[in-house]
Amino acid sequence: MADQKSLSMTVNGRTRRGRGEPRLTLADFLREQALCTGVHVGCEHGVCGSCTVLMDGEAVRSCLLFAVQADGADITTVEGLAPDPETLHPVQEAFRDCHGLQCGFCTPGFILSVAAFLEANPDPTDDEIRHGIAGNLCRCTGYQGIVAATRQAAAAMRAGE
Amino acid sequence: MAGTAAAGRYVGQSVKRLEDPRLVTGHGRYVDDIALPGMLHAAFGRSDLARAAITQLDTTAAEALEGVRAVFTGADLNPHNDSLRASLYPPTSPAPPANMLADGDVRFVGDPYVMVVAESRYIAEDALDLVEAEFEPLDPVVDYETAADSEHHVHPELGGNLAHDVAVPNPTQQEAFENAAHIITETWHQHRQTNVPMETRGIVASWQPHAGVMEVWASSQSPHEMQLVGARVLGIGEHKMVVHFGDVGGGFGQKMFLGREDMAVLVAAKLLASPLKWIEDRRENLMASNHARIEQMAVSMAVDGDGCFLAADLDQLEDDGAYPLGGPATPGAMAAMLFPGPYRMGPVSWRARTVYTNTCGRGAYRGPWQMESVAREQMIDRVAREVGMDPLELRRRNVLRPGDLPYEAPTGLSFETTISPEQTLEQAAEMIGYDEFRAEQAEAREQGRYLGLGMALYIEPTSMGMGPLGTESAMLRVEVDGSVNVFMGTGSHGQSLETTMAQLVADELGVRPEDVTLHQGHGSGYGFGTGGSRSAVIAGGAARAAASGVRDKVVAIAAHLMEASADDLEVADGVISVRGTPAASMTMAQVAATAYQNSDALPAGMDAGLEHTARYKAPPSTHSNACHMCVCELDPGTGKVSLLRYVVSEDCGVLINPMVVDGQIAGGVAQGIGGVLYEHCVYDESGNPLASTFLDYLVPTAAEVPELETGHVVVPSDTPGGHKGTGEGGAIGAPPAVFNAVADALAPFGAYPNRQPLDPDTVLGLIASASD
Amino acid sequence: MKPAPFDYHAPESVAESVALLDEHGDDAKPLAGGQSLVPMLAMRLTRFEHIVDLNRVDELFGVAVGNGGVRIGAMTRQAVVETDAAVAERVPLLHLASPHIGHFQIRNRGTIGGSVAHADPASEYPAVMLALDGVAEIASASGTREASAAEFFESTFMTAVAPNELLVALRFPSWERPAGFAFDEIARRSGDFALAGAAVGIGTDGQGRINRAAVGMLGVGPTPRRAASVEAALMGLAAADADAAEIGRLAADDMDPVGDVHASAEYRRRAGSTLVGRVLADALAQLRKEAGDG
Ligand SMILES: Cc1cc2nc3c(=O)[nH]c(=O)nc-3n(C[C@H](O)[C@H](O)[C@H](O)COP(=O)(O)OP(=O)(O)OC[C@H]3O[C@@H](n4cnc5c(N)ncnc54)[C@H](O)[C@@H]3O)c2cc1C
Ligand code: FES
Ligand code: FES
Repeated sequence: MADQKSLSMTVNGRTRRGRGEPRLTLADFLREQALCTGVHVGCEHGVCGSCTVLMDGEAVRSCLLFAVQADGADITTVEGLAPDPETLHPVQEAFRDCHGLQCGFCTPGFILSVAAFLEANPDPTDDEIRHGIAGNLCRCTGYQGIVAATRQAAAAMRAGE
Repeated sequence: MAGTAAAGRYVGQSVKRLEDPRLVTGHGRYVDDIALPGMLHAAFGRSDLARAAITQLDTTAAEALEGVRAVFTGADLNPHNDSLRASLYPPTSPAPPANMLADGDVRFVGDPYVMVVAESRYIAEDALDLVEAEFEPLDPVVDYETAADSEHHVHPELGGNLAHDVAVPNPTQQEAFENAAHIITETWHQHRQTNVPMETRGIVASWQPHAGVMEVWASSQSPHEMQLVGARVLGIGEHKMVVHFGDVGGGFGQKMFLGREDMAVLVAAKLLASPLKWIEDRRENLMASNHARIEQMAVSMAVDGDGCFLAADLDQLEDDGAYPLGGPATPGAMAAMLFPGPYRMGPVSWRARTVYTNTCGRGAYRGPWQMESVAREQMIDRVAREVGMDPLELRRRNVLRPGDLPYEAPTGLSFETTISPEQTLEQAAEMIGYDEFRAEQAEAREQGRYLGLGMALYIEPTSMGMGPLGTESAMLRVEVDGSVNVFMGTGSHGQSLETTMAQLVADELGVRPEDVTLHQGHGSGYGFGTGGSRSAVIAGGAARAAASGVRDKVVAIAAHLMEASADDLEVADGVISVRGTPAASMTMAQVAATAYQNSDALPAGMDAGLEHTARYKAPPSTHSNACHMCVCELDPGTGKVSLLRYVVSEDCGVLINPMVVDGQIAGGVAQGIGGVLYEHCVYDESGNPLASTFLDYLVPTAAEVPELETGHVVVPSDTPGGHKGTGEGGAIGAPPAVFNAVADALAPFGAYPNRQPLDPDTVLGLIASASD
Repeated sequence: MKPAPFDYHAPESVAESVALLDEHGDDAKPLAGGQSLVPMLAMRLTRFEHIVDLNRVDELFGVAVGNGGVRIGAMTRQAVVETDAAVAERVPLLHLASPHIGHFQIRNRGTIGGSVAHADPASEYPAVMLALDGVAEIASASGTREASAAEFFESTFMTAVAPNELLVALRFPSWERPAGFAFDEIARRSGDFALAGAAVGIGTDGQGRINRAAVGMLGVGPTPRRAASVEAALMGLAAADADAAEIGRLAADDMDPVGDVHASAEYRRRAGSTLVGRVLADALAQLRKEAGDG
């Protein structure tokens, strides 16, 4: 068995230390050692987007990264998005308002992808939204609520800035 | 668009979901989020061959790997369980052998033949690489069209590959055919697809040896199926089978029944007396959970000179795969019975057969018998083309009108007066602008653009009130502080039952939805779970009945305490007040505190406490209906089809939560679009699955699904509250609507598709062969 | 679906990286963005005892302008290639092709070097590299060498980069203007690998005659292909007279498609040559626009 490496990264603003073999994926590290079970694993081969997290501010698939690669990085998971226990992030709020989720399994990944997408495209057209969020799969909603939520969150985030 | 009948203070409102605050913040609890002290992890070794004898199986090296706790083979586990059957199926009908793990031979690619239990999933998979297995390949049965005649048998124990063969001839159908102006015949094919919940299957099982208790966390649509069948597998009483129900990441039929792996995990957890987790990976899910829709229906329809349907003859053939999930079902018979749908069809003869093949087992997938709508609606478009009539006009001519109701279909189904197929047909036509579209289509064609419109009209039997499916229960308790806990046998996995049941309870009892928490799984009363579009009517009926039972008591107590007449009291948002004198009031909390903590103050003879259990028995079937219409554009250079518009007009009776209804429709529509245009579990001739990753099995993304426009016709059903089921409909109407749209766009080329998927290659091929 | 164990190395220089590759030979594999390699490791379709992670090798990152073109470090993320102003200005085809690669989350990690070294025949950058006669800079413990695009792509997933070698950078020439560039592809869904795609560049002399034509194709052979017949037919034509659809059809002769679950070889040939015509038409339109502007 390959050596265990010690790991340290900032997760949602707190330093998280752990250990793992080099092959331990970032997704598994976040779920099992950082206890961020909002990181969902839907395919483990990079297609579904459920495991999306922000690494140093950019949306990435955490199933396609090894935890060792994120040593020293700053990670945000869905648990770290809301500003405080009473308030939701505008994207989270919009997903609720627009029925952007049913079973909720794809939701954390979607919310982080949408947040990152809107960061780069604050005022997208519907077509841009549909292609912009095409890297995340949802089997429940038919995307209607998710597209609407992205629209609403874009407006809310623009207004908030 | 909606003509919503707001049936109450909360029912009829798009109440924001109570599930969402935890789910949007990452605090849902799915099965893979369960971690128990000392928990072990399972992984299955699966066959790479469709059919083969296992000539050698040596697990020594795997067992020796550090971190491995046990390696089980079929010989180890199978003797502990004598049936793979779901609770629905009578133990007498023939079924595949009870092999949780393949024993002696493997019967499809993905067939599990060994199970490793280790300290981590990583190590378990390492150990699988060390299992030494040798196989002698045998000729597989891959093609279901020829399976019945094959000399090779998927299950030698059964002596043949034919699982079911039911025929119901109708002599008057023959007569009608003899006198018909037109007889049109076609065989319609669906293709192998799979449910693809975004959360794969999974289970955590923890055995307490001395207590004899099995504690289970499962990704399930039906916690009571897990309790009942799990207890049977383990040989324990249901009272010792504790099934926790958390968040479930979708199922669409896949998680209704226990899989072979679930059973293997239960048995292994008991043998090892250690908590054990198995989380299916995506490749396992795509090749070994369940497949569906592998079927064809040969349809002949007799039509008179005016386009009136006279009679039909149906021959349905379906592939059950090797180990159908839940047992060998016969949805084909159901499809045949439902074939007449929303039309006056005349006499129908039918036959339905199911065969075994060396492929992944069939399972229920949202609208398991939707072949009836697929075959009928595609056939009607074909008839329209053959008799030279507009497809909307042809449907208008034959659709059941209010005056025809109630209606006894020739195949034995009866439709109540509360269906509205004609209204939804007309509403959809209006929403899409049918006549305008036809003009636009003609114009586009002049410019070399190929547009197509497809429609599908159907009636869906929801909330079937038969056998184990017939009832649901609700145990409702107002707590001392006036808040409400309700325990139900459902298994919500995206259907928003925590919200919709709370809405029903809120109106019926007189509280706010946020005062109500729904509990599912352990502690609830038997119910079949969530599936079959049954929760709104059946579970809803139970929730209402339980709430109304408690409400009567609340009112009686309040009347007694306030010295008012019960008839003058109203209850809303947790306050009981005298009608017209709002100042005279008390709270639910005051009533509850009295009921529990000061029972001497209750009316004489009244039992203490504030709780009620009710079980609702549904009528045999509550039918909902809908009409889908969509517009596509076909690129004749690349064969790519894009959907430009999608309209659904539906009648699910009184909407509990319009937002949730629209969401259910949208999800089903996207699955239907995926099925016709993108998704395909391809097998090669040797029975190898070629679409075992998400790069090959193409679930549509937001870019492939158009904006959905929904309209609602509300004809209340006769069930309490007037609801009808709505969970599956989207996936029933969408496939034929999309198919018909593409067929319409292909018509100018003289190309007539009769099978899916209509991927770019197929479409271009159809155009090419038509122009040859 | 968990990868088999491996030893992990995180070198910080090219020298260190190639030393590791040299030491471990076939047992070692460079890890770039991981967007192709990690799925294969997870499915245990492939395994290596040593993974050499290039993500901390700073000298492999970045875009530099010079020598009549652009030099892009192998570890430059696809997202950077997509948005870099110098790339958009000087090698428009890379800019146009980038959004077709998967999704933005993939491009945030995936690298241009990884795309080219992975050499998926349905991949965008290899076809662009071939169309533009890009050059690969390759390093090993024994020194550096160059490979032209034509010699780089040997067969499906096979390149001129040996197991002990490292792809260091790619160089793309800038074209004289006016020129027209266009890229498009047919994919099953948004972001999928292409069933067929084309990268087209057209340049003209002062009189509006085509004197430079580059047509790269993806998804229509075991490697990226050049549509030599199309290029030949274009050369010397007055750009205004070129019948794109007609000329595009010639591309069928330059294809050697392979069928898979998504589309047959026949489909790729047929739809692919239609697409070449369309992309050519776009490039010509672009050229007209640029010539008009200039
Ligand atoms: C959902 C999804 C969709 C995708 N869609 C597309 C698409 O449409 N088009 C497309 O082109 N790609 C697509 N990809 C693949 C993606 O673009 C990859 O990023 C790319 O193919 C490989 O780049 P990488 O940096 O991730 O390399 P890695 O995955 O890290 O490596 C790929 C291979 O290249 C080798 N390698 C990498 N760098 C070097 C180097 N410097 N020297 C020598 N060898 C090296 C590795 O050893 C490995 O064999 C998709 C991926 C996913 C997950
Ligand atoms: S789990 Fe990472 S993309 Fe699916
Ligand atoms: S909400 Fe269930 S997969 Fe998206």
